[in-house]
Amino acid sequence: MGSSISKTLGRLFGSTEMKILMLGLDNAGKTTILYKLKLNKIKTSTPTVGFNVETVSYKNVKFNMWDVGGQERLRPLWRHYFPATTALIFVIDSSDQERLNEAKEELYSIISEKEMEKVVLLVWANKQDLKGAMKPQDVSSFLELDKNLKNQLWCVIGSNALTGQGLVEGLSWISNNTAKQ
Amino acid sequence: MVATDFTSPLMRTTTGGNHHGFTSKFSIRSPSVPNLRQQLYSETNNYSAPAIEGIPNNKDAINDQRSNSEEYGGSLSVIDLYDDNDSESPQKKSTRSITGLEDFQKDVGELNSMSADHSNDDLRRSNSITIDINENEHTDRYGFKKQSTFISEADYNSWWNDYSKYCVRRKFKWKLLLEKGGLPVDNDSPTRFPSKSEKLKRYVRKGIPAEWRGDAWWYFARGQEKLNRHKGVYDTLLVKVNKITEQKDHDNVFTDLEIIERDLNRTFPDNIHFQKQSPQDEEPELIKSLRRVLVAFSLYNPKIGYCQSMNFIAGLLLLFLDEERAFWMLVIITSRYLPGVHDVNLEGVNIDQGVLMLCVKEYLPEIWSYIAPITNKKGASNNRRTTSSTSRKNRSLIIKNEFLYRLPPITLCTASWFMSCFIGILPIETTLRVWDCMFYEESHFLFKISLSILKLSENDLLRHKKHRHGGGILSYGIKGGNSSNTSLGSSNDAASEDGDMEIFQIIQTFPKKLLNPNDIFDKVIFKRKYSFNRLDQDEVDRCRKYVSSQRTKYKHYIDTVEKQEIRGIDKSTNHIGEKENILTSEMDEDTINEALSSEVYGFKRNLTGVHWNNSLKAKVRQMKKKIDREV
Repeated sequence: MGSSISKTLGRLFGSTEMKILMLGLDNAGKTTILYKLKLNKIKTSTPTVGFNVETVSYKNVKFNMWDVGGQERLRPLWRHYFPATTALIFVIDSSDQERLNEAKEELYSIISEKEMEKVVLLVWANKQDLKGAMKPQDVSSFLELDKNLKNQLWCVIGSNALTGQGLVEGLSWISNNTAKQ
Repeated sequence: MVATDFTSPLMRTTTGGNHHGFTSKFSIRSPSVPNLRQQLYSETNNYSAPAIEGIPNNKDAINDQRSNSEEYGGSLSVIDLYDDNDSESPQKKSTRSITGLEDFQKDVGELNSMSADHSNDDLRRSNSITIDINENEHTDRYGFKKQSTFISEADYNSWWNDYSKYCVRRKFKWKLLLEKGGLPVDNDSPTRFPSKSEKLKRYVRKGIPAEWRGDAWWYFARGQEKLNRHKGVYDTLLVKVNKITEQKDHDNVFTDLEIIERDLNRTFPDNIHFQKQSPQDEEPELIKSLRRVLVAFSLYNPKIGYCQSMNFIAGLLLLFLDEERAFWMLVIITSRYLPGVHDVNLEGVNIDQGVLMLCVKEYLPEIWSYIAPITNKKGASNNRRTTSSTSRKNRSLIIKNEFLYRLPPITLCTASWFMSCFIGILPIETTLRVWDCMFYEESHFLFKISLSILKLSENDLLRHKKHRHGGGILSYGIKGGNSSNTSLGSSNDAASEDGDMEIFQIIQTFPKKLLNPNDIFDKVIFKRKYSFNRLDQDEVDRCRKYVSSQRTKYKHYIDTVEKQEIRGIDKSTNHIGEKENILTSEMDEDTINEALSSEVYGFKRNLTGVHWNNSLKAKVRQMKKKIDREV
């Protein structure tokens, strides 16, 4: 009760908070994105053992972003710790076409889980700056989200973590599409 | 290390000589031990080294012996020695370069007339690194960038200014200790160390001299024993590794290679030895070594294969040891110090986190009350709806120990402490100190240091407690995937969510600021008032066993309950087969109840029967020894 009032007030006065889970294959650029958003700096890329959590504020929305790293085999450690996620961000390395299929499988295995039923899904087709990177539209059609996700809001946005291109657009899409819920 | 000759009478006398030489040298320098950076970059112009007589000759003599007796090369350390410019010997002085790296190369050349190919690679590596002064100014003696997200270069330099002096003082004491024990150090790379004692433990806790680290770790971890038992194994593995890595189309051949490959260039990007100096450069030799070690390991131990975080462990080892020894140390670390932690099923991580949580509960109850999972209906019991009233009754008891199975969310943070053995969690100098102690004191030290970090962060943590609403502890997720309750999340209101974020952020960032290892050691580890300093290896081993068995029982129980739920069997009705009936009733009634609630782990302070027995036995043993000695 109390919390719903504060949330309503927050919405009226423009401050709201949401929990965002950022997943994706290793080396997709999740941590780089997180710290670009948080510090506007490029952190040297290094595998994330465990996770990083940071608060990113944008337009009066406080995004609590969980960047969960680790190769696939480490995922069982933290996979089930994330209920109450408002949005799921899935980051894809658009330049690594060999692993696109793997990424797709991973994405579907995540969103098929019960606790992900109601989340909105943002896909960042990352590394758009690299040669041979797939266009966001192509990534989108490859993922076949329109066919398979009937009840969920989703969106694919091209991004470049180094310049920050597409990042703000992504967050603003999330905040626009969760406020209504 | 085969170094038996070192104790020959001849060597002893020369050691004595060196001892005096060193003392006098030290007394000359001690009032103002210059820090490394200034020394390294003030060029060498006016520096006149106090000559130490006799040393070059000794060194040569020893080098000869070494090259004869060593098959796999000596320690290849890429440390830019802090007292590099203190000119250990006139010879060294004359060869010193601006960066100190040529020095290293020279040392390597002197120390190793090596046979193995990979050690030659290392030689080439030292050639290939060209560092200009400005760039080097930003890196520490191991080649890591001084600056991090949490530590500025100015902070680093001001700390290092004092700490480097501390290092020189400690090294001097180490030299005295070793010489007293008849262990020569005159070529500045002792390979044998005194036998274990309280004194030595204290020395190790105050830090092993950086340029001795590789050999000291190797010695304390009994690496040579391992290597002797597996002579030639690494070479055989390398043959296979070469075959695998040369095959370009390794589709299904070896998936670990692909995963390793992706992590190679992301290992220590902040370290000059792991980074190309310019894009057109060849791959750094250390990266090549790292690839070989990791691939060889995944062949050697398929049960583990390659697990992210091993790249960091192997990488750090390679900074201090040659490739073969780094490989065996990786084997030792993943089996002895972090048992099961890197296994595919990750059970070792979970067990260690369970042990850590038990310890927090025991030794840091304040923090525990803050991070413990909620044990009311909101938390665990909502997760599974069971129809049987008996299991409901049991549940309230079971919950006591449920945190060993459903680990508190805080372990999301602390698990990575163990997996990467604190690399990247603590600043490098502090990490190395932890490693010193881990190799000397065994794995229980990892728990001690974890508890110390938590203890130090207590103030920060508890400050946030006030801001928190009610008892909303960290949102307790649905571990194990055996729940379908999505409403669970709604029990978090915004305030507790905020609190959660803060806890995580504190636990995540606090250790990264512990630049000075002495902070942890002087404030916590050396303080008797902290009861967790009583933790010993025996306790941790027992703890691990206990947690492991509790987890197995719990898992069994969950599985049984789930089976029941799926089949919709009400236990009160007798529609199930006899066998199953026995099984389930056994599980629900006796085993679980007994296993999970009556078996509460007792730490040693409680002197239970077993403990008492053990301590009595130990005393008897000591007395016997005494008597034996006297006789």
